Amino acid sequence: MLDFLQSASDGILFGATYALIGIGFTLVFGVMHKLNLAYAAASVGGAYCGLLIVKVAAGAPAFAVFFGAFLAGGVLGYLVYLTCFHFIPVSNPLAALMATVGMLLLIDEIIVHETDGVPLNYPAMFDDVMLRVGEFTLRGDLLMVFVVSMVCMAGLLALLYKTRLGLATRAVSQQAVAAQLCGIRVGRVNAMTFVVTGLLGGIAGAMIGASVGTLSPLLTTPLTIKGLIVTVIGGLGSIPGAIIAGLLVGGFESVLQQFRGVTERDLYVMLLLFVFLVFRPGGLFAPKGGRD
Amino acid sequence: MALLELKGVSRHFGGVRAVDGLDLAVEAGQIFGLIGPNGSGKSTTVNLITGLFALTSGSIAFDGRDFGALPTHLRLGRGVARSFQNIRLFGQLTVWQNLWVAQNSPADHAKRGFLSRWLGGQGDVREEISQLLEFSGLAHKQDELAANLAFGEQRRLELARALATRPKLVLLDEPAAGMNNEEIGLLRDRILKMRAQGITVLLVEHVMELVMDVTDRIAVLNFGQKIAEGTPSEIQADAAVRKAYLGGETA
Repeated sequence: MLDFLQSASDGILFGATYALIGIGFTLVFGVMHKLNLAYAAASVGGAYCGLLIVKVAAGAPAFAVFFGAFLAGGVLGYLVYLTCFHFIPVSNPLAALMATVGMLLLIDEIIVHETDGVPLNYPAMFDDVMLRVGEFTLRGDLLMVFVVSMVCMAGLLALLYKTRLGLATRAVSQQAVAAQLCGIRVGRVNAMTFVVTGLLGGIAGAMIGASVGTLSPLLTTPLTIKGLIVTVIGGLGSIPGAIIAGLLVGGFESVLQQFRGVTERDLYVMLLLFVFLVFRPGGLFAPKGGRD
Repeated sequence: MALLELKGVSRHFGGVRAVDGLDLAVEAGQIFGLIGPNGSGKSTTVNLITGLFALTSGSIAFDGRDFGALPTHLRLGRGVARSFQNIRLFGQLTVWQNLWVAQNSPADHAKRGFLSRWLGGQGDVREEISQLLEFSGLAHKQDELAANLAFGEQRRLELARALATRPKLVLLDEPAAGMNNEEIGLLRDRILKMRAQGITVLLVEHVMELVMDVTDRIAVLNFGQKIAEGTPSEIQADAAVRKAYLGGETA
């Protein structure tokens, strides 16, 4: 029982990073009704860019690396928007989708090339802190990952629900034509969505690096798949859904890793996806109507 | 000089001449009616004026400056707003937020800095929005989601949202469609109030009682061409108009 609780709580804390990745997929889908398959790769790319800070200033604090990843993620998000969406006609949605697949592979190849495929150490914070309640422990670095991710989500929700920028974003996602007639530049809102999700992605990548201890190009594909699973389970376009599904998938895979081993774990995650697709295809929080 | 001037405006869809060589001049302060049988090109004309369709040929000038090639959001910046025939509200935003969105209009850009415009809270626009809610009789529904409103209320919200962008010219695309007589009466009052506030109105409508009652001038379209123009009483007496409505096709 203790093992179960321990692995579940570790997994839920780590699942916050899945939630961030899921939000990135779901937000772009909600606003543009398109999938950005390069998102998880760009997030890992952002995390790698954060490491450049250590290269320039050896011994830079972990915090600076995370912040660098955050900013680089935003820049990469904008680049993905420019290359995969901005110049590709809306009337050809498949072209944009394929462009994001190309971008995913391109980022992957750049990382492999630049690092010779060798995993790099990633700094963490509070990794020597351990909270104990009897046998049960909470790792300090995982707690940090969880708190940072939650703060980012809270910031995103505040942006979306409390500011006019967020309102404009939601207006475009619900009724793009009418939004134009309210003076909103749809292209700008789309670009902003990519920058904001990119910032979140950079943080997610950095937090994954911090909790695993290393970054490797092998991360991009599984992370893309986990992000998509989280998006589907949460309900395409639903942010609360992505958050809950992220924590759920994190806890679920950690428990199965504990009891069934690391190679078997993702089998069950896939099965979970199919259970949802069969019994609740709209996800946990299928967005209500009102979209065009 | 006319506030809105269309010269030789055409829009062809393949071989279909939806609008064909249309000349139109709407004076500032007028309520101008645009009528015609179904499929005569009225909605296409509205879409051309707001820039949702590109011109095949011809020119559109607003406030003395050509704007036939501007993108939609810049035309709004010059002062053109519209309501839609098929309602296009932001369904999952509240009534109040639907009006808040429209406070992003270019007219507001001049008034507020970049940061206060995008990241600012709700405080500085409350006054204007409550006036609009009052005007459209939706004050008691301000926290309701737009998707949950009754049909007539949604139409009123469309109109209020168009006004929230502070336009000089409002294009109303069949605002009375599906309304009962009492609602049409209230709509009539609102249109007259808009003119009193100095807003020019281009009214596309099938409900003839309303058009004949409020407009200063009317143009009649048929098969994409203007077949008549004049005051309401002139139009009612026009033989070509009678033929277009009662002759060949259903009205």
